Amino acid sequence: MAASTVEGPVAHHFNNMGQQLATVRFGMWLFLVTEVLFFGGVFCAYTAYRIWYPKDFEAGSAALNVGIASVNTFLLLASSLTITLAIRAAYVGNQGGLMRNLLLTIVLGSAFLGLKAREYYLDYEEGLMPGTAKVMQKQKVEQNGKEVEIEVAVPKFDIALEEVLKREHFKGEAHKDYDPSRVMLFFMFYYSMTGLHVLHMIIGIGLLTWQLILARSGFFAHKSRYVYIEVMSLYWHFVDMVWMFLLPLLYLCGPHTSSQAIEQFKMAIGLSHGGH
Amino acid sequence: MADILLEPARLDYTPQMLPEPEVSFEKHPEHKHYLNHEYGLLSWLLTVDHKRIGLMYLVSVSIFFMFGGIAAGLVRTNLITPTGAILELDQYNKAFTAHGTIMLFLFLIPVIPGVLGNFLVPMMIGAKDMAFPKLNLASYYVWAAGALFFVWQLIVGGLDTGWTLYPPYSSKYSHTSVMYAGLGIFITGFSSILTALNIIATVHKMRCPGMTWGRLPLFVWAMYATSVIQLLGTPVIAVTVVMLAVERMVGVGIFDPNLGGDPILFQHMFWFYSHPAVYIMILPGMGVINEVLTCFARKNIFGYKAVAWSSVGIAVVGFLVWGHHMFLAGQGYYLAMVFALLTMLVAVPSAIKVFNWTATLYGGSITFQAPMLFALGFIILFTIGGVTGLFLGTLGTDIHLHDTYFVIAHFHYTMVGGMMFAWQAGLHFWWPKMTGKMYSDFWSRLAAIVMLVGFALTFLPQFAVGYLGMPRRYPNYPPEFQIYNVLSTAAAYVQGIGYLMPIFYLGYSLFAGKAAGNNPFKATGLEWQTSSPPSPHNFETTPQVYFGPYEYAVADGLKIIPLNDGKIHDIVHEDPDLVGTTPKEATHGS
Repeated sequence: MAASTVEGPVAHHFNNMGQQLATVRFGMWLFLVTEVLFFGGVFCAYTAYRIWYPKDFEAGSAALNVGIASVNTFLLLASSLTITLAIRAAYVGNQGGLMRNLLLTIVLGSAFLGLKAREYYLDYEEGLMPGTAKVMQKQKVEQNGKEVEIEVAVPKFDIALEEVLKREHFKGEAHKDYDPSRVMLFFMFYYSMTGLHVLHMIIGIGLLTWQLILARSGFFAHKSRYVYIEVMSLYWHFVDMVWMFLLPLLYLCGPHTSSQAIEQFKMAIGLSHGGH
Repeated sequence: MADILLEPARLDYTPQMLPEPEVSFEKHPEHKHYLNHEYGLLSWLLTVDHKRIGLMYLVSVSIFFMFGGIAAGLVRTNLITPTGAILELDQYNKAFTAHGTIMLFLFLIPVIPGVLGNFLVPMMIGAKDMAFPKLNLASYYVWAAGALFFVWQLIVGGLDTGWTLYPPYSSKYSHTSVMYAGLGIFITGFSSILTALNIIATVHKMRCPGMTWGRLPLFVWAMYATSVIQLLGTPVIAVTVVMLAVERMVGVGIFDPNLGGDPILFQHMFWFYSHPAVYIMILPGMGVINEVLTCFARKNIFGYKAVAWSSVGIAVVGFLVWGHHMFLAGQGYYLAMVFALLTMLVAVPSAIKVFNWTATLYGGSITFQAPMLFALGFIILFTIGGVTGLFLGTLGTDIHLHDTYFVIAHFHYTMVGGMMFAWQAGLHFWWPKMTGKMYSDFWSRLAAIVMLVGFALTFLPQFAVGYLGMPRRYPNYPPEFQIYNVLSTAAAYVQGIGYLMPIFYLGYSLFAGKAAGNNPFKATGLEWQTSSPPSPHNFETTPQVYFGPYEYAVADGLKIIPLNDGKIHDIVHEDPDLVGTTPKEATHGS
């Protein structure tokens, strides 16, 4: 579409609609450049530690809920499709289709967040929270040639991690090939990376809701304003892309099986109570 | 007229025929400009006008400059005696940290992009406003919110880690308000990103007809390069600060070696932003110098393309040299060698600029008004600062000079002698455009000289005392260094007086200064072609550009300033040769 032929209401500081739309698009791409570097920083730190502590990161990953993550991946990919359909609907002036697809995107995104919240809650229940809290535990140690039982302070996290790993992956055998404080480092990355991603999702859903309200009020009756949906979709796709990197980095770097993933998901939504 | 204008075709920016202007000698009975077209506090707080936002930054950063200056005064005063004159040990730590954080995050980084970048970039490229005016206002408020965290941090007890926030000072061993300072860095950084995004989008999409990339004023090129750095670097420090915050809150060892982390990783990520950040601080200053030098030497810039691309070169290579801050921090030998080599490389574009500036001065008709004095001061001081940087970038010498006062003197020569002088040059150069008022010639020149003398005497002794081995950040020193420190402190007070002077004569000019006219310095940039102060939309009609930004040869040869809107009444006012002439008559008459 040639710049001068695009029609629609132009903001005060632009000469024509073509210039305005091109600027809006360009601005979002620039913003995404910044976002890449923002996530790049924490990915870089993650990579450094992953290279140093591969076993510990594997153990940490093994304790994550890959079932929920898999379902969430499908939800996000589906929402990427619906927002693309929303652009098309706005482009051809199909107001009903636009609103439907925006709403679907919001619903899919919210479903992602709901499952994510469930996952955080389960992690919390299992005690997989990095921190300095300690509990007293009885341990047998050798003293003056005799074996005695004494109470020692053990980080809560270490015990919780051991239990989860025993239950999930190693068929009850103790798996001691890791250092809990380094697994804690993995969990720090897990929480901050997914947390930043969730924050971006929340902002995205907020913006989508705003666009849905605009769509209801007929803002997109000017077809040229499809560009605002397109710009929104750029952001949304970016957030999806970040997830596409988070999934292998966090969830798939440890040992998982598909049947275990299915079982985990069933348990998470209450269809199964875990028959270990 | 056509012949004269078309003849110098060997120039890069072939001047073409001026458009036939509709000459109007009528003065508007009451000139409505951006300052008086609406009144009231809300008209300022909710404005989306880039010029008003620029002035809001001007007031804010000036206040923070004073805070930072007071902290510097405390540090210098304490160093008068070898055992510390006025401050306790922890107070001293807090004073130099406050000086560093305020000056860097609240003054040097926002000052030229926030004030001059906002005010000038749209005008220089003939746009009505920035690409995203609301975002522009938002970025001011985001910055202000970040600044409030810094203020809060000072109120609740201050920070004592040094501005670099290295763990474990900032994680395990600090009981001061690291979190507030971190939030301040994160939030002001976000503002810096938004400003940068806005400037890049503006330069790409808002240029008026005829304003090609080869005709952009070099200030705009410099701002563009700066914005690229801000856009790419700032998010990295933001996420680094987030990780630091998580480490402090949760107690995991991201940067703590006892828990499996690595403090050097913090330094890598910190300097990945903070070294390019020194170019965020200096590049806009270099841009200002191009505008001022060409105007007061009445010459086209020597080597436009070289100067423009050297800005981009600095932006690119500046991202590859961060490791030279960590030569002694435990990074590998070979890595250090590569960083040393790249550090030499980044000096090349800076040197290109300095050589081009001196070549621009050569054979020029130089006048020494205040902006020019500041600009000349910049060239001298920045060159000293840059060359001493090479001593520090060389592995062998850095082992001796690392973390001494030599480093302090080096970066103050570039940051203060460079950026502060460029900022003063820019402020004095565009003050008549911003306010429509002219300041005192005598007092402004005197201020320039006082600042220069004060500056040179403050930091020259620090090179010496640093070479002799006085470490930075120590409140105590051996008695034999006292003479250097006393000299430095005394000169710092002179410098302080120099910085206070503009407040008085610039403030005075607002109320009692004589009207400056549209183009008091007879400069050629587009921003001078409109009225002073500019109208809310900058230009009456969208300008059309026919030649490069520094056609002083053409402008002076014809004794006219090529006007795009054809309004030359102010020039007629000031230049007796042109009384009652139109541009056409002036051309034929000469």
